[in-house]
Amino acid sequence: MSRLRVITRLLPRLGLRARITIAFTVGALLMSAVLAGATLGLTRQNLLDQRESAATVRTFRNASSAEQQIPGRSDDDERRADPTEVLATLQTPTGSNPILEVDGRWYARAPEIGEDTLPGALRRTVEAGQPALMRFDIEGTTQLAVGVPLDDIDGAYFEVVSLGELEETLESISISLLAAALLTTMAGAAVGWWAARRVLRPLRGIGDAAHAIASGHLDTRVEASDDADLATLADSFNEMAVALEERIQRDARFASNVSHELRSPLMTLAASIEVLENQRADMPDRARAALDLMVADIERFQQLVEDLLEISRFDAGVMHLDLEEVRVDELVIQAVTNSTDVDVPVDIDSDLAGVVVKADKRRLSRVIANLLDNAGKYGEGATRVELRKRGDDVLIAVEDDGPGVPVDDRESIFFRFNRGTSAGRRRGIDGVGLGLSLVAEHIRLHGGSVWVEDRADGQSGARFVIELPAEAS
Amino acid sequence: MTVGTRILSVEDDERIRTAVKLALEDEGWAVEEADTGEEALNAFQRQPSDVVLIDIMLPGIDGFDVCRAIRRVSDVPIVMVTARADTHDVVAGLEAGADDYLTKPFAPKELSARIRALLRRARSSDSGGSHLRFGDLDIIPDEGVVRRGGEEIHLTKTEFRLLVELGSSPGRVFSRETLLERVWGYGYFGDGRLVDVHVRRLRTKVEADAANPRHVVTVRGLGYKLQA
Repeated sequence: MSRLRVITRLLPRLGLRARITIAFTVGALLMSAVLAGATLGLTRQNLLDQRESAATVRTFRNASSAEQQIPGRSDDDERRADPTEVLATLQTPTGSNPILEVDGRWYARAPEIGEDTLPGALRRTVEAGQPALMRFDIEGTTQLAVGVPLDDIDGAYFEVVSLGELEETLESISISLLAAALLTTMAGAAVGWWAARRVLRPLRGIGDAAHAIASGHLDTRVEASDDADLATLADSFNEMAVALEERIQRDARFASNVSHELRSPLMTLAASIEVLENQRADMPDRARAALDLMVADIERFQQLVEDLLEISRFDAGVMHLDLEEVRVDELVIQAVTNSTDVDVPVDIDSDLAGVVVKADKRRLSRVIANLLDNAGKYGEGATRVELRKRGDDVLIAVEDDGPGVPVDDRESIFFRFNRGTSAGRRRGIDGVGLGLSLVAEHIRLHGGSVWVEDRADGQSGARFVIELPAEAS
Repeated sequence: MTVGTRILSVEDDERIRTAVKLALEDEGWAVEEADTGEEALNAFQRQPSDVVLIDIMLPGIDGFDVCRAIRRVSDVPIVMVTARADTHDVVAGLEAGADDYLTKPFAPKELSARIRALLRRARSSDSGGSHLRFGDLDIIPDEGVVRRGGEEIHLTKTEFRLLVELGSSPGRVFSRETLLERVWGYGYFGDGRLVDVHVRRLRTKVEADAANPRHVVTVRGLGYKLQA
C-alpha cells in the first residue's frame, strides 16, 4: 500500500512523455513475460508428455519382452534365461536405464541406477501389481521412472529415463524466450517513446505557438490538423489567439486612433500659434505671457501625441525599424549636436573609430535626444556623453549632474508614465513619463539594452547606459 | 510678371487649411486653397503655382492621384503631407512624384524651410555649370536640359538637381546624407528614402534599363555615383 502511494506520488513529477514511455515499457514487459511463461510452460508440458508416453510404451514393450524370455516360476529353472542377459537384449535409448526384478532379486544395466534409485512409493505401487509412472530427482537431475509389474514371474520391470537433456532444451528455450522478452520490452519502450513524441508533437507545436505569441508575434497560429481530436485543440487555440490578437490590436488601435484624431487639432494649434508668435511684439504683456504658456504646452502636447503614437505602434507590433549600417561615433555626435543647445562633451573611445552598428538612425538619435532631454529635466542637465566599446558591444552613456536615481527606481523608471519617486517634485511636471519607456522599447527593438547606474566618477548624478551590439566588420 | 511666390495648399480640414494659410502668408507668400483633389487640379490648371502642398488623405481623388496628375503636366515642386512617417505612404507619395514630405502635425516653420529649399532648388537648376557628358547622357545645367542619345528627357527640378549633383564629381560616391544635404537641404537625420525613391525615379528616365542601371549606380553601403 505504502509503496504504491510512493510510486503514484512520484509519477506526476515525470513528464507526460516519460510516463507514456514507462507505460509502454511496463506493458511490453508484462505481455512478454506472460507470453514467455506460457510458452515455456506449454512447451515443457508437451515435451514431458511426449517423453512420458514414449517411455511408457517402451517400458510396456520391454516388460513383455522380458516376461517372455523369463518364463513363469512353474517352468524349469534351467530354461530360464539369465536376467542380466535379458536386460542386455532390451532396446532402450541412451539415457534410459532398465531395471529388472525377478524373484526379489534386482538386475540393472547401469550399476549406479539400481533398485535403490527408485522411489519407494513407485516400487510399492508396482509391487502391488499396478503399473506406475513417477518423476523424481537424482542429484538435481529430473528422472522419469516407469514401472510395470511382471505378474508371471513375480517381478517387475522399471525404466529410469533421465530428463536432463529435456531440461537443457527447456533451459535454452527459456533463455531465448528471456532474450525475446527483453527485446520486446525494449521495443515497447522505443514504441512508447516514439508514440509519446508523436502524440506530444502537436502539443509542442502549440507550446511553440504560445511562446511566439507571448514574445509578440500575435499573428502566430497552429496548423489545422486532420485528426479530429487534435483539430479541436488546434481550433480552440487559434480561436484564442485570434481573440487575443484582436483585443490587443483593438487596444493599440484605440490609442493610435486617439492620437491620430489629436493630430488635426494639433496641426491647427501649431500653425495658429506660430501666426500669433509672429505678432508677439505687438501684444500686451499679459497676452504675451499667455501666448508663451500656450506655445510651451502645445509643444508638450505634440510630444505626448508623438510618444503615444510611437508606443501604440510598439503595442500593435507594427513598429519596424529602418535599419542601416551606421557609424556609431558619427551618429552620436550628430544626435548630440542636433538635440541640445548646451554643449555636452562627447568622449569617444579611440578604438570606436569607424565601428558600425545596425540602427535606425532617426530613432536612435531620438533615443539619445530623449536621454539628454531627461537629463535636462531631472538631472540638472547632461554633463557628458561617453562612447565606449565593450567586447562586441558599444556602450553609449549619458551622465548628468542631478541627484541620481535611487536603486529602487532603477527598473521602474523605464515603465510608462513613471517618472520615479523624486523626479516630478523638483520642477513642476515637464514630461509625461513616456520618454524613458520609449527609449527602452527602441533599444530592445535594436537588440540592445538600457539601464541606469551611478556616475562612473563617483559624483552624484545618474548615468544612463545604452548597450548595442556592434556589427562585425 | 508674377507677384511673389504662389503656393497651392490642398487640405480638406478647413481649420488646418486656414491656419497654414495664415502662417505661410506671414512668410510673404500668396496662398491659394483647395479642399478637394478636383478643385486642386482645376486651380492648378487655371494658374500653375510655384509650390504645391498636398495632404494625402483627401475625399474623392486622393493626394497620390493629385500628385500624379500635376506631375504629368508640370515639374512644379510638390510637398506632400502624410499622417505617419513610417508607413508606405511616404514612399508611395514620393513615387507619385512628390519632391519632399512632412508629417502631421508639423511646425509651419518647418514647412516654410522646406518650401524655401525647393524654391532655391527650382531656381538654382536654371543657372551655373558646364556641359556634362556620361556616355549617351548629355547634361546641360545651364539650360536645365538632359538628353539621352540626343533625345531630351523630362526631369523634375529635384531629379535634375540630383543628377547634376551626382554629375558634379564624376565617379565619386555620394552618400545619402551628402545628397540629402546638397539636394534637399536636410542634415544628417534626413530621410534616406527621399534619395532612394528619387534615384529610382531618375533611373526610369535616364537609364535604358532601369533594373540594370549603367549611369546611376548604387555602391553598396556607401551611396550612389554617376558614371559613363
